[in-house]
Amino acid sequence: MIGESRMRIRVDGEICQGHTLCAMSAPDLFVLSDEDGHAQAIHEEVPAGQEDRAREAVRSCPEQAILVLSDEPAVGAVR
Amino acid sequence: MSVDERTTPGTAAASKAERRIELDRYSSDLRLSFVDWAQKLHAGPRIAWNDTHGGYWFVNGNQEVFDVARRADVLSNDAVRYGGIGIPAMDPAARGGVIGGFLEMDPPRQRYHRNALNAYLSPAAVARWQPVMDEITRAAIDDHIESGSIDFVEDLANVVPAVLTMGLLGLPLEDWVIYNEPSHAGVYTPIDSPDWPRVQQLGIEMGMRTLEHIQRARTHPRPGLLQAVVDADLGDGDRADDLEVIGVVGLLIGGGFDTTTALTAHALEWLGEHPDQRERLVREWETLRDSATEEFLRFYTPAQGDGRTVTQDVEIDGAHLSAGDRLWISWAMANRDETVFEDANEIRLDRTGNRHSSFGLGIHRCIGSNVARATFKTMLKAVLDRMPDFVCDPTGTVHYETTQVINGMRFLPATFTPGQRQGPGVEETIAGLQRVIDSQGLAEPVTVRTGRGTPG
Ligand code: SF4
Repeated sequence: MIGESRMRIRVDGEICQGHTLCAMSAPDLFVLSDEDGHAQAIHEEVPAGQEDRAREAVRSCPEQAILVLSDEPAVGAVR
Repeated sequence: MSVDERTTPGTAAASKAERRIELDRYSSDLRLSFVDWAQKLHAGPRIAWNDTHGGYWFVNGNQEVFDVARRADVLSNDAVRYGGIGIPAMDPAARGGVIGGFLEMDPPRQRYHRNALNAYLSPAAVARWQPVMDEITRAAIDDHIESGSIDFVEDLANVVPAVLTMGLLGLPLEDWVIYNEPSHAGVYTPIDSPDWPRVQQLGIEMGMRTLEHIQRARTHPRPGLLQAVVDADLGDGDRADDLEVIGVVGLLIGGGFDTTTALTAHALEWLGEHPDQRERLVREWETLRDSATEEFLRFYTPAQGDGRTVTQDVEIDGAHLSAGDRLWISWAMANRDETVFEDANEIRLDRTGNRHSSFGLGIHRCIGSNVARATFKTMLKAVLDRMPDFVCDPTGTVHYETTQVINGMRFLPATFTPGQRQGPGVEETIAGLQRVIDSQGLAEPVTVRTGRGTPG
């Protein structure tokens, strides 16, 4: 269903080591620092329709540095 | 179990006894029976006490590797105090006082070193080198394209990472030939081989060459990683002495050369054996490029593991580690854990959720990971474009005898339908590229360039 997304994410800067996999799975959701490649979520609120990509980024992060602050009912329901 | 029992000294000994295995990581048995070993260990103990090479913890489960690798608070990489990341530990005195750069240091010194280099190796910094990577790759292929035969290791996968690493370091590109053999032979030669003294000698000569470059850098600065190491502020204006710089440069060379070579060779070997998957990768390159790269990284884990020393008594995932214990983190085994990776022992080019640990985890994450990925993709794409029907020759294929350091290959000969040359060969190309790098200041850190706009 396309509607308002309630998914919110944040990269924990203390845990992120700049593996860049988040930006690989969801280039529209994460930016990497030019200087050290560490990631930040572009918007804390995931734009509607991009939730699956956000979840894939969460699953792919080797350091598990991406926090899901809130999600629709199926929180963390990974296939 | 009560808290008391956990803290009694006897418990640590009991933990070792319960979890005891015997696995010689310097044997070819580990390489040849890798899947059996991984499955056996994943059934438990996932943090095992390996009663070989003086005894050490062998961390092999995915969750356990994740939990251990990020405990820099209770683990040390330090070479001077504990012998570094080798198993068995290696006294720095036995290696001429040279240690393995910041991979054999703890914070804060380790962090100062890395901070000085990040801006040369970030995704944005590496992207500037793409035209150089393309050009070396083209030249390496052009040297063989008309003949219809190539050795993917010697003629391509050894060449491109080596030349590029020279460029990143700010060293003359043509020096790649001096660094090439010792960098690979130092990894694949078993320590008990009769050839070991010769290889060690080559390594010493390489170190001497580096020393010359360092001394020149102190009087005639030249942009690049080497200069950054020489100039790095290691806290309160402290600078690295020559030996320390040699160690860091050695780490960057060791990390830059053999690992990417190993990954590329294995991926090409596999694609040669699976022509249907190769065709699929060609067809769906844009969508599969990244996932396939991560999957080859996971499956072939170039750097198999790293050693640590436990600095204080601690319990992690039920194992009682004691201060002074040695420990091996097996990235390779964590990458084959079925509890995280479905069909872990199969290659799936479109695998999702692939949080492999081939670049390590935690504060020591491979600083060259962006270079490795870009170089690998460049070589792979060029082979798929220009020799899409290659057939590898299994009789001439030689894998490293053991996976003691790197899961690598020495030879991977292949034949293919000959094609057209597109330009000059490696030697001539290198001379041209050297001028481009120097005139564009490519080896400078990315922050310096941002103000001037990015090159097209
Ligand atoms: S994948 Fe994880 S560790 Fe890597 S850059 Fe993204 S958030 Fe950071």
